[in-house]
Amino acid sequence: MITTTVTTDQSKTPVAAGRVLILLDGSRLSLAALEAAAEIAAARQAEVVGIFVEESNLLRAAGFGFAREVGGSSGLARPLEAATLEARLQALANQVRHRLQQTMAPRGLTQTLKLCRGRVAEEVLNLMRPEDLVVLGRVGWSGIPGTRMGSTARVLLRQAPGDVLLWTECRPRHQNRVVVLLNHGQGANHRAVRVGAELARRSNQPLSVLIRTPPGDDQAVVADILTYLQREGMVARVKQIPVASAGAAVRALQAEGATQLVVSRTSNLLADQGMETLLSALNLPMTVTP
Amino acid sequence: MAVPEALTASQIYHRCPPEKLDFATTDQLQDLELPFGQERVLRALEFGAGMAASGFNLFVLGPAGAGKHELVKRFLATHAAGEPVPSDWCHVFNFRHADQPNAIELPPGDGRTFQNDMNDLVSELKTAIPATFESEEYQSRIQELQEEVNRRQQQGLFAVQEEANANNIAMVSTPAGFSFAPMRNGEVIEPEEYKTFSDEEKALVEAKVEDLSKQLQQTIQQVPRLRKEMRERVHALNEEMVQLTLGAPIGELRDKWAHVPAVVAHLDAVREDVVEHVEAFQDNEHGAPGGVLNRYRVNLLVDNADTRGAPVVYGDLPTHQHLTGQIEHRAHQGNLYTDFTLIRAGALHRANGGYLVLDARRVLGQPLAWESLKRVLFAGEIRIESLERLYGLATTVSQQPEPIPLNVKVVLLGDRMLYYLLSHYDPDFLDLFKVEADFEDDLDRNDDSYPLYARMIATLARASGLMALDREAVARVIEHGSRLASDQKKLAAHDRVLKDLLAEADHWARQAGADGIGVRHVQQAIDEQKYRSSRIRERSLAQIRRGVTMIATEGETVGQVNGLSVLQIGATRFGQPTRITATARPGKGQVVDIEREAKLGGPIHSKTVMILSRFLANRYAPNGELSLSASLAFEQSYGGVEGDSASVAETCVLLSAIAGVPLKQSLAVTGSMNQHGEVQAVGGVNEKIEGFFTVCAQSGGVAGQGALLPASNVEHLMLNEQVRAAVQEGRFSIYPLRHIDQAIGLMTGMEAGVPGADGVYPEHTFNRVVADRLAEFAKVGKNKDDGTANESGGDGDNHNGDD
Repeated sequence: MITTTVTTDQSKTPVAAGRVLILLDGSRLSLAALEAAAEIAAARQAEVVGIFVEESNLLRAAGFGFAREVGGSSGLARPLEAATLEARLQALANQVRHRLQQTMAPRGLTQTLKLCRGRVAEEVLNLMRPEDLVVLGRVGWSGIPGTRMGSTARVLLRQAPGDVLLWTECRPRHQNRVVVLLNHGQGANHRAVRVGAELARRSNQPLSVLIRTPPGDDQAVVADILTYLQREGMVARVKQIPVASAGAAVRALQAEGATQLVVSRTSNLLADQGMETLLSALNLPMTVTP
Repeated sequence: MAVPEALTASQIYHRCPPEKLDFATTDQLQDLELPFGQERVLRALEFGAGMAASGFNLFVLGPAGAGKHELVKRFLATHAAGEPVPSDWCHVFNFRHADQPNAIELPPGDGRTFQNDMNDLVSELKTAIPATFESEEYQSRIQELQEEVNRRQQQGLFAVQEEANANNIAMVSTPAGFSFAPMRNGEVIEPEEYKTFSDEEKALVEAKVEDLSKQLQQTIQQVPRLRKEMRERVHALNEEMVQLTLGAPIGELRDKWAHVPAVVAHLDAVREDVVEHVEAFQDNEHGAPGGVLNRYRVNLLVDNADTRGAPVVYGDLPTHQHLTGQIEHRAHQGNLYTDFTLIRAGALHRANGGYLVLDARRVLGQPLAWESLKRVLFAGEIRIESLERLYGLATTVSQQPEPIPLNVKVVLLGDRMLYYLLSHYDPDFLDLFKVEADFEDDLDRNDDSYPLYARMIATLARASGLMALDREAVARVIEHGSRLASDQKKLAAHDRVLKDLLAEADHWARQAGADGIGVRHVQQAIDEQKYRSSRIRERSLAQIRRGVTMIATEGETVGQVNGLSVLQIGATRFGQPTRITATARPGKGQVVDIEREAKLGGPIHSKTVMILSRFLANRYAPNGELSLSASLAFEQSYGGVEGDSASVAETCVLLSAIAGVPLKQSLAVTGSMNQHGEVQAVGGVNEKIEGFFTVCAQSGGVAGQGALLPASNVEHLMLNEQVRAAVQEGRFSIYPLRHIDQAIGLMTGMEAGVPGADGVYPEHTFNRVVADRLAEFAKVGKNKDDGTANESGGDGDNHNGDD
């Protein structure tokens, strides 16, 4: 393992000009994510777009005369009526609008709330542009207990043209470090490093770059990253870690004291069950770059 | 009866010849280990301290300042040194009943070690247990558990979802749960389209939805059970991990403390408690809360590590709390908290296994202290109860520490009055304080006691850091000791008075630049003490000098005599003469005590007058009626009159009034008299004689005056130098009286007279004059009675006329 520390004067990297899209469904986690989105938007001086989607499947389901709603905690069934559901969604939308205004107004941010009807992931993908950042809670109210990642999050991670921040609430720790997890030989590394650097700067936390390197490899990628960091005027600890299972990556991240994680979608770590393992073992906000 | 000889100068003062002291200065004398002359107290202390049976506590009684405390301290220091050091005691948390801390007895010195061991254990717990929880092993095991439970939770839901999907039914999430609806190609079909379904199809779909809803309901309702199972398994895992972590340190301590089973039991309880509260240790950031860890600490209540022999504790502020201990509270954000670590030992705890010395008056002056002390002594154990709880003022939950067995000797110090009052009024007192150690006020003065008294003076001087006294000074102190004791054959043992005298003599010696205390410094101290307290005496003397208070010291007067009285104000005593007058006339055998009539006379004085009245009747009218109406008064006396020391004077003045024979005003009289005319001892003779001497000296000088006192009081005389000089030069005479007739002879210059065989007193004797005069009174009285009986049938005594 090689550890290299780059120390050069910090200089501002150009800030992405995209919007911050925040997916709101009224759940507790989505409201927590709203705060995080506000922080990011304030730092970038970006426009905030709230998205509230009325799931078409749900609306249809309520249209059946026999429709019942089984309580997620109690298990008790009660009739599900279209009118009642409409009213509930309306109330939820109002609540979300209010919270969005409340959160953004003190920061002087422009915000709009888009109300859509359809399938959530599709609606978001329709609205999103490559330079945008989409922020969402790992799971919404649609989550099955114990689920680490909702269906919407899953689709967005794989298909979103821009960065996706999966928000979760984590306990404060002694060590705070933004960690960028890179894959050796992957082309999209620079974007991930840039996002990590921005996060680190914004939250006043040190930055670590972990590069999964196969054994016996040359130092080309490390050198490349170091050069890039230097050019961008960033200070970071660069480490090489062996390519191993997702569990090994998790331990490396824990050892590094990561409180925020940046990873590229192209990383083979996210293939198969790797993402699940990462999410279930690490309870921390994660940004996935295209 | 012959008139007694006047006393010589050597009879009125017991000198201490310096030759009897075989040292030059007190520097050559050794300290006294224990005070001499206090054998009774010492034997009582020896017995009380050695007696093991309960209730044999001591009460050392004696006047304030007699040196009781000093003596008890010195005695106990020697006695306790040879006794074993008692156990240490500590309180530990009671894991079964949190508000009843346990008490553990440990060999002396082990308490501190135990406390340190437990502190070390707590430090270890603080780091070792969180480390266990942070370990890879624990983390992965807990994760496995969580995964499993999640999996089982999800499995049920996924099964329902899959079954739904297989039947073309969508499981749709709603804001509060789930719903089922028919679907096609992953989309819920439009309700409108559903209406086109055949009735059979609809029935099928709805039956399936119903069935799925039930399945889902069952699955969801299993979640709490799963969660509970998860909690139990996590707890079991925690216990397992902690048992392994604690095994080594607790095992080590168990081996170390195997000789104290209570400690071993406590260690086991600690281990169980840690396991039970293991979740509290899981906070990696802050560690276990202080409240949990503090429960494993030790409150060392009694630490005898540095004690040598049995402890001797003096409770200078014997409040209830200071005696039996107390439970303190800690203020935190406006609330008061307490726990077993705030239990504080009292004097009884510290003295347990030894001796507790207390001032009886102070104990009695503190609310509930006396009752608490008795309760503890009766119970044989110390139970800490707060004062507010005893009074029933507080009912908040507090600590009730396990009582600690008590084995203590309590030594109470107090004055005699307190002892006798307690014996009389407190039924518990004699059960608990069976040993009475009565302090001797005075010591015998003889040739053997001189060296010991000198050593005592040397000890006092050295203890107070004073200069040494030379031989003459010691002799003077010894003489003054006799004066303080008011007895030629006694010496005062009063510690404080002697210490003060020596300290003052030392002061004057230093002022004079002397390198030791000499006789003149001792004398100066005595004189200065007297002068400082002489304001009232001086005022009284001035009143006599200016004639405001009428006292004659020369000439002869009928029905008037100088009595002698003693006034005591605070610690000051002085004597002064008082004019006593009498009148006599025929009447019905009545002697009016004016003091009593005016309610200024005390009962003893009234008794005296009654005795003298019976004496008169018996002596001068043995067969007939005593026809006399007499009165007696203390002139210019505006306070009360009490005591019997004026009875000789009163008899003399009354007889003088009856007989019309004048009394010498140059003589003053003191003494008590019985019904047979025998003179009995009185108190304060030195002050009385010196008081009269001073009055004589200031009214034209001492020339031929004197004082009469009971012969039995002669050995109490320790008169000052001026009086001694006047006696030596014959200017002042002091006569010892055995019988009233001697007083009569001295006061009138006439023979008192002894009755012949016929009961008649010889001619020209005083008693004959009195008898004749009384016979005359009787005659007058009889005539008067006859006359008035004829005229008016009788009248009161007061109207019988003086003719």
